[in-house]
Amino acid sequence: MTSDSFTARDRRRATAGIAVLVPVWLRTVIIVVILVIIALPMMFVVFGSVNSDLGVASGEYFPSSFTLVNYAKIWTTVGLAKGMVNSIIVAGSTAVVATAIATVSAYVLVRFTFLGRSTVLRSMLILQSIPGTLLVLPLFVVFSSFTTYIGVQVIGTRWGLFITYLTFALPFATWVMVTYLRGLPRELEEAARMDGASNVRIVRQVILPLSWPGIVVAGIFSFLLGWNDVLFASVMTNSDTQTVSIALNIFSASQSGGSLPLYGQLMAASLICAAPVVILYLCLQRWLVGGLTAGSVK
Amino acid sequence: MLIPGGVLLVAIILIPLIIGIWMSLLNLSQYTIRQWLAAPFVAFQNYVVVVTQTQFFQSLGVSIGFAVVATVCSVPIGVAAAVVTHNSFRGRAVVRSIFLVPYVIPSFVVATIWRTIMQPGGVWTGMLTSFGVKSSLWLNGPNAFWTLVIVEIWASWPFIYLLTLAGMQTIEHQVFEAAAIDGVTWGRQLRSIVFPNIGGPLALACVVSVLNHINNFTLPYVLFGIPAPDNVQTLPFLTYIQSFTVFRFGLGAATAVLSLVLLAIPLIVYLRMVRLDVGKES
Repeated sequence: MTSDSFTARDRRRATAGIAVLVPVWLRTVIIVVILVIIALPMMFVVFGSVNSDLGVASGEYFPSSFTLVNYAKIWTTVGLAKGMVNSIIVAGSTAVVATAIATVSAYVLVRFTFLGRSTVLRSMLILQSIPGTLLVLPLFVVFSSFTTYIGVQVIGTRWGLFITYLTFALPFATWVMVTYLRGLPRELEEAARMDGASNVRIVRQVILPLSWPGIVVAGIFSFLLGWNDVLFASVMTNSDTQTVSIALNIFSASQSGGSLPLYGQLMAASLICAAPVVILYLCLQRWLVGGLTAGSVK
Repeated sequence: MLIPGGVLLVAIILIPLIIGIWMSLLNLSQYTIRQWLAAPFVAFQNYVVVVTQTQFFQSLGVSIGFAVVATVCSVPIGVAAAVVTHNSFRGRAVVRSIFLVPYVIPSFVVATIWRTIMQPGGVWTGMLTSFGVKSSLWLNGPNAFWTLVIVEIWASWPFIYLLTLAGMQTIEHQVFEAAAIDGVTWGRQLRSIVFPNIGGPLALACVVSVLNHINNFTLPYVLFGIPAPDNVQTLPFLTYIQSFTVFRFGLGAATAVLSLVLLAIPLIVYLRMVRLDVGKES
């Protein structure tokens, strides 16, 4: 083998056995332990969703009886279907609008120098870290005073939620797009400009086709912000506009009642609420991990 | 497009923030909320009541204890997970994906699942009994705090893992090879190569974790519901109860402002750390 063909990759492969950081037995033990700790509660959800309420209540892990009826009942018991539709409408429109605004804003922030640019970037980081619990009460008061002073009903509508989620999604979505667009070579746009393309055309035909991975990440995280929220939804929705998280929480709350809680349905509904998010993440993992590190999901 | 975005941010974040501070100086209850602009001004009376008559200091303790214990316990799990998936092996991609699953499951679902697991007579107490530990109450009483901590660790350790992994990827592979050829034991490699190099990312991960734990409202709210035991009423939860269960809005606003003071400590540290990054890039 000549030194030319002996690339870094070959060398890494050849020495892979030597430089194993942790002994294989210890590695296996740790991985198995962690996997079991992750899997036990998750498998409990799967088993519980096909079990009877009595079975779950009495502490069964593996179901003693098998039924799929829970999956049929969940949609109507507390309006989970309605909650899902509301969540998809609100979180979906948040994702679309937030990503659109964020992409254009980010393009402006990256490509044009203007006074206060770094202030805008920095304040986005700060705004992103202001907790929702601090704002939910004043926002609730502002929205309800719309009813008192102007006569427009905001609390209880999807609009109120949409505006709120949009605001919280914007700083993060813009941040994602800024870091993404920063990596695109300026030369492409300059070439297009030399050919006489307008600003709008450059964005549409050069920037957008190249930046869709960033757009997807920004969109998904904006969507998840709405899908995962409990705080704002719990004070700003009514029974017609409740989101999926509130619908699921009503299941839990019905536990406090006298009769046997609907554990089977609760587990089936939990699975349905988590499945789209987990599947989405597993499919688009490569692009999403960067966003996870930024700590945006929760 | 910067302008509509900026207007939204000011309207939904900055203005409510200022209104929130103003509200903490008013005597606001469910009777005065409709005409809140005309509510009586009581200066710092709400703050005095919060500090002397509510369980503010207990909540402060619960919040700090919860955030610190959850972060400290997540670090060894996250670092161990990053270290064992450092070298490639068959199926590593699958293992890495599964490691992240608890973190991507929505909080309200995590809380619902664990609420069912830890109910009296449920699988959790059943499992503990088979280990010889007798206990029945985990969603109430003194154990409730530990329920909150356990569930938070289960759901959030992958964040530490992710950032540790990112830190480990900056270490050149040759360093490990050289150490292996010199016959350095794996324990020594960890201590002398890995740990010094992951310090920076790990510190950032801890600060962000503390911030996330302090701000986590969904988990205690869905896990315990209202009324919740005193020892899980973190500051966001206490704020929420005072505002939307007891309807003492002035007190809720004052509690929120006071919790901002606690939050400011990790927040300033975090912004310092990130600002350095931004400076390098631009």
